[in-house]
Amino acid sequence: MRPWLALLRKELAVAFGSPMAWLTLAGVGLVTALIFFDHLRIYNQILFLYATTTMGGFETDTVPTYVNLRDQVFLPVMETLALTLVGLVPLVTMRVFAEERSRGTDELLATTLLTPTQIVAGKFAATYLLVALMLALSFIYPASSVVRAGLGMPHLMVVYLGLFALGIALASIGLVCSAFSTHQLVAAVSAYAVAFVLYDFRWTAQFLPDTVAAWIDPLSLHPRFGSFAEGMVRGGDLLYFAGYVLVGFALARFALIQARVR
Amino acid sequence: MRGLLPVGTVALIFGVGSFYTAPSAGPGLFTWINLGGGALALLLAAASALRGRSDASPASRRLLVRSLLWVLVALIVAMGAEQLGRRSGWQLDATAERRYSLAPATRAALEALPAPVEAILFLDRLDTRARSSRLLLQTLAGSGVVTVRESDLDESADQAERFGVVSSNTVVLVRGNRFETVERPTEGSLFEALQHLGRSAERRVYVARGAGEGDLVRSDDVGYSGLAAALQTESYSLHDWVTAAASEVPADADAVLFVAPRRGLRQPVLAALERYLQGGGRLVALLEPGTHTGLEELLERWGFGLADAVVVDPASGPVEGDPAGVNPIVFSYAEHPAVAGLNASRMTFFLRARPVDGVRKPRPEDDLRTLAFASRRSWLAPNVEAVQRGLAPERPEDAEENYWPLLAVGRYPRGDREARIAVFGDSDFASNRYLRAVYNLDLLMNTLHWVTEREPAITLRPKALTVDQFPLTVQDSLSMFYGVGLVVPELCLIAAALLWARRRIG
Repeated sequence: MRPWLALLRKELAVAFGSPMAWLTLAGVGLVTALIFFDHLRIYNQILFLYATTTMGGFETDTVPTYVNLRDQVFLPVMETLALTLVGLVPLVTMRVFAEERSRGTDELLATTLLTPTQIVAGKFAATYLLVALMLALSFIYPASSVVRAGLGMPHLMVVYLGLFALGIALASIGLVCSAFSTHQLVAAVSAYAVAFVLYDFRWTAQFLPDTVAAWIDPLSLHPRFGSFAEGMVRGGDLLYFAGYVLVGFALARFALIQARVR
Repeated sequence: MRGLLPVGTVALIFGVGSFYTAPSAGPGLFTWINLGGGALALLLAAASALRGRSDASPASRRLLVRSLLWVLVALIVAMGAEQLGRRSGWQLDATAERRYSLAPATRAALEALPAPVEAILFLDRLDTRARSSRLLLQTLAGSGVVTVRESDLDESADQAERFGVVSSNTVVLVRGNRFETVERPTEGSLFEALQHLGRSAERRVYVARGAGEGDLVRSDDVGYSGLAAALQTESYSLHDWVTAAASEVPADADAVLFVAPRRGLRQPVLAALERYLQGGGRLVALLEPGTHTGLEELLERWGFGLADAVVVDPASGPVEGDPAGVNPIVFSYAEHPAVAGLNASRMTFFLRARPVDGVRKPRPEDDLRTLAFASRRSWLAPNVEAVQRGLAPERPEDAEENYWPLLAVGRYPRGDREARIAVFGDSDFASNRYLRAVYNLDLLMNTLHWVTEREPAITLRPKALTVDQFPLTVQDSLSMFYGVGLVVPELCLIAAALLWARRRIG
């Protein structure tokens, strides 16, 4: 267990010892803040318009029920945050395996007492911690809307559970791409490609037969996150995201062994 | 040769994609080239890989095959676990208003359906509002009675026209050749549609008119159109009983309903009501304080005590701008089918109500019960007229503090039938403005179900969702943005800059 923990510490030190991790965290904070406050600004403008007598068709101070903090601010921000993860997580994962391989330090790692399983576990755990930290930074703004919007803390926690599940699924994709790559850029681009393809298959319904679309749709990441955003935790969705971790882990381990055999 | 693997994969994906993009035109040259070329490239890549493997030692090959097997096992385990999780139906509703947990009434409505129902969700694929409806329908489908399917609004225009669907996020519930259309579905609207589809034999309720009663057609705040709609939803057909001309209660009446009569009823009407009740009739009366209609004396003969006063409950505080205590919030209930499920956290709300006590049973075998109570410190204010005008209630020196009841019911076996009476000390609680506040609708409808001997229909109905429309001024938003919004990214950028500088300086 100790060598594994040592590897975890080393991975975290490497991650936070480079400006890239901090820039990514700053990106998450900035994007979340901009999205959140922009939605809040638009919501306030809509409220103001409805509350004035100049709007035809509504009585003064009568606002349609769909104009509320939950639907106009909270849910859209969470949706955009989920999409932001697709853009940012590959930046975190691209270097994890690919950098070691391009520098040749993977061979150094192979000579340690660590088994491939332990190496992969250490790198996966460090990356997941970084994803968790990214989400923790974005927590402040939605939390303030919870206070105002009466959504309730359990709902917010479930949304963040969903974001974390989505984040680690995307991280697993990115780590597998990194494990099979020698160059960080290739790892990042392939992770983007796979993540965007898997993110949502609704567009395929336009031209695929219903049976094929019905089969392919449950594979999408976005609808699974959608349940969490609505405040629902479903066993199937949790296990779906857990499946990404499991398969990603097995594939990354395979890539590591394949590289060793060669 | 290793490059053939991604090339073949890309060609195959594009081949399959083009095959499905224009199925009517059939596969073209582009499709065949992609499919054939892709397959060939993959075969060559596989052959190359096998040749390469043969260079490796048997131990290495075994290791590689074993780890590949682990990948397959992980894939199978992941898919199997997801399937099991999905089929188990386990879910946790963390929404503040329990948006996806079915109310007892909805569950009862589903169980009461005589045949399965198909729910069709008409939607525009890009309509994000449909997600909430989809989850709600999936929760309904968990009952096993409802099957759910989605239909694209553009692709199924004929079907949409048949059901009168005009906008995305509309649900059509179909049972046999009957259907109900629900726009922007909520549990409440779906419940009402299910009730309509599974409607059982109707009970005829005669609504007294002609003595200044509340109007069941009027749809503004002080009207009772919401009550009429709720009654019709739960299988009651409403008929006018014009007391100015009536001398008998219609023989087919399952119940007679009085909603806040203001003027005195004619003697023949009161006599007709007396005969009706002696014959095992059913009566529900919503009586305001400060009125004298003659109904009060009739009810007193049946054991009810109707003091002409306003119940003042200090525990309720000032509600709706009225003086403190005159609008009691009720959270104490007796044990009785009519108030089943109501408790301290499921309150009801009355406005300037009179006490309704059960003081004397006409016969020993009769059963007279008080069901809903103001709090222990409540008392009676005799200055009813002043309180009605919004003035503060006057507390008499000898005011008795007690759990003053606001609802009483009685059962009276008469021959082979049984008369049932329910008397509420208020009618405003059933007006459009307050009917759906807290559990008012449940109290009224369940009492009516009990009076008409429809106890199985007693339930708690889905509650309307309340949305928060609290404004934050633009200035507030900007203050938050500059105050909090930029701090976190700034700190992270400073950390990145420090690291960069340290590396550069060494």
